[in-house]
Amino acid sequence: MISTLAYGLTVGGIFYIISIGLSLTFGTMRIVNFAHALVYTLGAYILAASLQNLGVGFFVSAIIAVIAVIPISYLIERFVIRRLYGESVDYAIIATYAVLLIGVDAIKWIWGAIPIPLSDPISATVALGGVQLPVYRLVIILISLLIFAGLEIFFGRTVMGKIIVAGLEDKEAVASLGISVDKYFAAAFTLGSCLAALGGVLYAPITAVNPYMGFQVLLICFAVVIVGGLGSIRGTFVAAFALGMVMSITGRFYGPAADTMVFVVMGIVLIFKPIEA
Amino acid sequence: MLNSTLTLLRKFDVLIIAGLFLLLTPIISMDRSIDFMIFCIFVLAYDLLYGYMGRLSFGHMLYLGVGAYAFTLSGAYLSGNPFLALLIAVASGAVVGLILGPIIVRTTGACFALINLAFNQVGLFLAMVAFAPWTGGEDGMSAVFNKVWIFDFSKHTVVFYFSLVCLILVVWLVRRLTGSLFGILLRGIKENETRVQFLGYNTFAVKMVAFIVSTSLSAFAGALFILNYSYVTTSFIDPLRSVEVIFASLIGGAGSVYGALVGGVCYKLISNYLPNYIQRWEMFLGAVMLLLVFKFRAGVWGYVVSALKRYEQPAEESKPHSEVSR
Amino acid sequence: MLLAVDRISVFYGSARVLSEVSLHAAAGEVVFIVGRNGAGKTTMLKTIAGFLHPAAGTVTFDGKKISGWLPERVARLGIRYVFQDKRVFTKLTVRENIELAAFAAGVKLHEAIERVVQIYPKIETFLDSKAGGLSGGQRQLLLIGRAMVGSPRLLLIDEPTEGLAAGTIEEVLRALELMRGEVTLVIVEQNLAVVSRLADRIYCMKEGHIPAELSQPADIQNQACLETYL
Repeated sequence: MISTLAYGLTVGGIFYIISIGLSLTFGTMRIVNFAHALVYTLGAYILAASLQNLGVGFFVSAIIAVIAVIPISYLIERFVIRRLYGESVDYAIIATYAVLLIGVDAIKWIWGAIPIPLSDPISATVALGGVQLPVYRLVIILISLLIFAGLEIFFGRTVMGKIIVAGLEDKEAVASLGISVDKYFAAAFTLGSCLAALGGVLYAPITAVNPYMGFQVLLICFAVVIVGGLGSIRGTFVAAFALGMVMSITGRFYGPAADTMVFVVMGIVLIFKPIEA
Repeated sequence: MLNSTLTLLRKFDVLIIAGLFLLLTPIISMDRSIDFMIFCIFVLAYDLLYGYMGRLSFGHMLYLGVGAYAFTLSGAYLSGNPFLALLIAVASGAVVGLILGPIIVRTTGACFALINLAFNQVGLFLAMVAFAPWTGGEDGMSAVFNKVWIFDFSKHTVVFYFSLVCLILVVWLVRRLTGSLFGILLRGIKENETRVQFLGYNTFAVKMVAFIVSTSLSAFAGALFILNYSYVTTSFIDPLRSVEVIFASLIGGAGSVYGALVGGVCYKLISNYLPNYIQRWEMFLGAVMLLLVFKFRAGVWGYVVSALKRYEQPAEESKPHSEVSR
Repeated sequence: MLLAVDRISVFYGSARVLSEVSLHAAAGEVVFIVGRNGAGKTTMLKTIAGFLHPAAGTVTFDGKKISGWLPERVARLGIRYVFQDKRVFTKLTVRENIELAAFAAGVKLHEAIERVVQIYPKIETFLDSKAGGLSGGQRQLLLIGRAMVGSPRLLLIDEPTEGLAAGTIEEVLRALELMRGEVTLVIVEQNLAVVSRLADRIYCMKEGHIPAELSQPADIQNQACLETYL
């Protein structure tokens, strides 16, 4: 039971970290960004590449991965996302999906399609309630809580954060003050992408690094964003952990149905609270 | 002069379409031709929702897959009659549409796309894991049918002509549907659903009908695919393949029968021949999709149409219009 | 002439909302735009502010052509647009609402707050309340006060007294009277009593045109006269 709980929280934490970017992009730009999955996948791959080729430790590789993603995210924002402002949602979906396709193929080209297994960087366990839990998983939970706290401070206390909160609500009013809202939204996009890469880095040792890992997690993250409320950062937090638990508990009873259960939940939420998108 | 030629062409377009496919066959091989035609049926089914009703589905492989599996399972467990199996496949598509419709059809935009995708994932799971003992799971299963009257589907020529006839029928059906009041309502819903409601129409019913027709035709296409391959695998219900039909709709031009056909053939040509020349053809596909979204929304057929229009009438004085900042 | 709008035409899609309309405002003037709903008054303000771009004609501010500029760039010249519908940032506090304006204008927060308090003294009592909880009148005054942060030169205000009770309207009037002389005001209003108390000049708008411009106090204060144009 405890290991199920821990797993649920771990996975939930990772979903949270990845989903923030998705929620922000949808909230600020009203764009459903499939390319988010690409940044996530790249985070994992750059981590693996750094570990294997640069001979540096996990921590340093992780930092490299998160930073390396910034220019890529900038390119995506500048050349694709920005052109989708105000467009119909369908085109945004198709365009960002196309970016994802291109990216995944590029990954296959560079690194091949064979999954790369990564080992747990902290191969230690700790005893909790009679069960041996990998410390790594607890670290992930801790990191996600720290990020939550960090984002609360960012959006609640810094001017930049407040501009984004205001912009999420009323973009025109922010512009009328003389603030270039788009620059701040672009920054929010980059922030979200870095977090996605971090999610990829953290999740990599738990799952196998493969070119399609983005697809697998993307839909769950959409579910998180939908269940949590589009553009609601706190909602994403709650929904991520809730769905993580759903996945974990389902997985305990009927393994393969874990993912599917998440979609069932999403479907139920959508029935009762369809989103205007 | 051009006008009357076009009207003449339109009247016999069914023949022209059939003729073109017959011409294509010796060039690309009969197997491929059959595949192309069946895919076009799928694109037509998809375009009904995307092009006419304006709803982008990201999980249409579900309905294709339902048809494919229903067809195969019918052959394996019910009867060796391929026609019965086809009927069951279409009915399955309709039933799924009927059950999921009330949930899905109320949504729009990203919601619509994603909820279709979610159901598709569930379908994939069911086919690959939950019902694996019956569906063969990841390995799939074969579909064997008996000969009925003159229809021996183990012969490719029989499949070819049958598929051609089916395609023509579907073209005719879709044309009738979209050319009628129903079609006008569909397009109205795409533009502004509230307005159509205010005119007194039950848009929910219209959407349901369109949805069920789309799922049924998709299931039909799925069944036909298996009729051709004689083997079903989970790739026929795999959501990742949704991009195929989306690309086809886009490149052909959404919202027109000809566009769907052009798009279907285009995509199939690309996916069949491009890998021989460019190894990273999927990257190319993605790049083309971006190009289409940003520059060539109307697709190939859309451009043909606007080129013809410009040829027929001199350019009107273009009206000035303001752009809203964002 | 601080603001000069010269024969602008503005379309929504293919519908023409403004047809070759001109108006102007000199520094320090209080100019009102009146007219029925749908006459194009909000469109006029939005075009000046940069949220819409004219298909023809120009908007000139202090000698610079600003038509076609992005709204944030227009704002940085010293033009503030106060939207209709009392749109405050509901999730932020009143203080934070002002903070954003101060940040944008490069002004220290306490100076900005002083400015707003000058115009609307009562605001000091609820600086830390969430703006979403404010009444309509409080929101409107917050918006007007916030717009004054950074000493703008032109304020475009869209229907400031809409939906407000008589007492609150008085407060708004007092605030606007305080601002007179410091800043040029172009205000869209339907409340003709307010118009007649403050206006230096009035433009009457009708269906995308300006059929009349009134500049004589006698004409302005005679409401019946105004009504003939609407």
